[in-house]
Amino acid sequence: MGTIIEAKEFSYSYPRRDNQVLKNLNFKVEEGEFIAIMGRNGAGKSTLTQAFNGVIPHLHGGTIWGNILVDGVCSQETEITEMAQKVGVVLEDPEAQLFTTRVDDEMAFGIENLCLPREEIIERIKWATKVVRLEGFWDREPTALSGGQKQRCAIAATLAMKPKIMVLDEPTSQLDPIGTFEVFDVIKSLKEEYGMTVMVATHKSEHIAEYADRIMVLEAGEIVAFDTPQVIFRNSELLSHVAVRPPQVSALAAYLNSMGQNIKRSDYPLLIEEAEVVIRNLIGGASNGQ
Amino acid sequence: MANNIIEVKDLCYCYVDNGPWCVNHMSLEIAEGSFVGIIGQNGAGKSTLMKNLTGLLRPTHGTIHLNGEDIADKPVAEIANTLGYVLQNPDRQLFADTVREELAFGPTNQGVSEEEVNKRIDYILKSVGIMHLADEYPPALSKGDRAKVVIGSVLAMEPQVIILDEPTGGQDYIGRYQIMDIARKFHDRGHTVIVVTHSMALVAEYCEKIVVLCNAEILLQGTSKEVFSQPEVLAKTFIRPPQITELANRMKEELGIHETLLSVEEMGDKVLEHIPSGE
Amino acid sequence: MSILDYHYGDSYVHRMDPRVKMILLVLLTIVVFIISNFYVLVTMFALVLLVWKTAKLPMKNIVRYMKFLLSLVAFLIVLQGLFFSSGDNPVILMHPIIPDVVPVIGGHGTIYLDGILFGLVLGLRLLTLVCIMPIFTMTTTISETALGLVKLGMNYKYAYMTTTALNLIPTLQEETKMIMDAQKMRGFKAFETGKLMEKLRAYVTLVVPLVVGSMRRAQLMGVAMEGRAFGAMKTRTYREDLNLRTRDIVCGVFVMLLCIGVVYFNIRLGGWY
Repeated sequence: MGTIIEAKEFSYSYPRRDNQVLKNLNFKVEEGEFIAIMGRNGAGKSTLTQAFNGVIPHLHGGTIWGNILVDGVCSQETEITEMAQKVGVVLEDPEAQLFTTRVDDEMAFGIENLCLPREEIIERIKWATKVVRLEGFWDREPTALSGGQKQRCAIAATLAMKPKIMVLDEPTSQLDPIGTFEVFDVIKSLKEEYGMTVMVATHKSEHIAEYADRIMVLEAGEIVAFDTPQVIFRNSELLSHVAVRPPQVSALAAYLNSMGQNIKRSDYPLLIEEAEVVIRNLIGGASNGQ
Repeated sequence: MANNIIEVKDLCYCYVDNGPWCVNHMSLEIAEGSFVGIIGQNGAGKSTLMKNLTGLLRPTHGTIHLNGEDIADKPVAEIANTLGYVLQNPDRQLFADTVREELAFGPTNQGVSEEEVNKRIDYILKSVGIMHLADEYPPALSKGDRAKVVIGSVLAMEPQVIILDEPTGGQDYIGRYQIMDIARKFHDRGHTVIVVTHSMALVAEYCEKIVVLCNAEILLQGTSKEVFSQPEVLAKTFIRPPQITELANRMKEELGIHETLLSVEEMGDKVLEHIPSGE
Repeated sequence: MSILDYHYGDSYVHRMDPRVKMILLVLLTIVVFIISNFYVLVTMFALVLLVWKTAKLPMKNIVRYMKFLLSLVAFLIVLQGLFFSSGDNPVILMHPIIPDVVPVIGGHGTIYLDGILFGLVLGLRLLTLVCIMPIFTMTTTISETALGLVKLGMNYKYAYMTTTALNLIPTLQEETKMIMDAQKMRGFKAFETGKLMEKLRAYVTLVVPLVVGSMRRAQLMGVAMEGRAFGAMKTRTYREDLNLRTRDIVCGVFVMLLCIGVVYFNIRLGGWY
């Protein structure tokens, strides 16, 4: 496996604005990684997701410095439509990106544009429907689906094009807990079963703690940290600085330490199961001491 | 006991004739000055219920009393004087050229004097924390600021009750708390607050009363401790208690927890009780 | 639910080749414009209703259109009844309703039967036209329409732009309603209890937020379409193909003959009734 995305001193400013919304980004993403992009609203997460397929700068204009190489191609110098075959970007607002009147038409739209033979198109629609578990919904109207189904439909519409990289911008912002869970479950399977490289901009710390390989933390357009969830979520100072909420169980460990306990940073739990172990150790110590 | 400001009796609503009920025989009382959270899955009927309360939809069956008066024949614009409703998408609720004008829109419609309007605007700009944006063009603001402007513009009408429909969707961590803190501030001033949300952590932290909707019916209602102490019932509507509550439930016996814990601090204190150095 | 939205169904009209449907739509629209005889128009309207029934579309919608057009038609009938002037020998239904003693306008206000019928014809024509369009839009999906246009020789980019624009109409209707709701919730009374002029002025205030909103939406949609490789190749393939079946051709020819017959009768009968 090699590097699939590489940003070199990439900066960007929107047209007629002086300030750079992305500043001097340097990073590498390996093939098959699951990357979460976190940070407060306005930190540049959405802008970055749109830089991968060249919507920035092709559609929005503005000025770029440096470049982002995606699968060996510079996304700023290549047509969006050509990039679309390498990178699938799912936008935040599911309604604006569902523009047909049937779920299967929605999924067909992208692959039809690639001029694939009819049998292949039908095959891929079937596959994408199965991955996002919308079987039985193919003749529904996208606008009549529930929030979670809409998001999954939008994911499938992009997925059907079989891009190497899937980029998702806040795919669960309007969803209830079960919808959020369903969407993250689908995203996880993209990586685990289909070997795709996945990048997700999101605020959902508990899910990221469970699924992501690495977290990229953006603050005012700059990368302030890019490391595993274990390292990022254990760094309470960093988190409060960039307004990212740690999973509640990590916050619990930090709270216990602030109350005089001495839990090692490397032992901060991210998942409920891990928290149980940490707490048992603490009170286990109690029973030994008594 | 405070008066009930809202009384819903046997409310039913469906969008199409003979279609499925989107609100199915709901009865609900909301006490004046309370802070109520409404939770439930997408499509459980939360927004439909709220739209019935505000008169944007009219009940197929049943009655709604606001301050003891039936709202059936009242125009929405009149109900809005007592009951402010912040709809889900901020973008469709911004019509003015500047934030200041946006805030003035509601009170001006109410026929409030200019002097009073200005007084209210200044108060809202300050209490919502958007003073520095007073002369900006609302649609050009960031998502968090747009949400604050919309909430402020409803608050400027000084309604007795304020309903926030998914105010924190797509907001970051800080944005969520800022918005909920605004709601709390107005609650402390005596307003009744109703929040519709998916965030269990926020509900657990801010709301006194929780109403859980499931399949167009009221599944549960009670204080947040009462509601989150019934994970089996909540599971029916796929609601998971906050992570910390789940952890507490799992370690009930080991830690001798008898009640439902909702915050990191509560849980932390409980753990500390069981550690020798903490004793 | 918008009046133009696709209506799920599996009727013969739904399954008909979109090209045939498109051609028939244009043809019928022209014919309804041409015919002027009241009885022919009634027959035509009855036929449209029959198609409506065949397509299993909701009859309720027609009642809605009627309600919507009622005031306009009533206005046309009164106007034409009073001021009808063409025709050599108009039948007078009622002599001057304003007595001669009234100064200036006294002696005017003759009501002509021809005028009333002409008003009725105009109204019925409008109603028939309003009922024809949804037969197409409610039974044909966006992709079928686009594919039909492409097969009729249109460049696929234009075909999709046209159909997507059509699809925006129901979205705009919905958006308008949401903005109105938001304004009502801010104590804006004009929509509910305002006078006519206030209501009109209130509708004008909707324009700016609506335009801002649609532009944002259109831009997002553009991003989404390009993100799915729209326009990557000179041509594109289609999941489904159109095949012109014999019965579509037969049906098309039948409707065409019917149209010719209708126009023929209209000329033979002449006049308004």
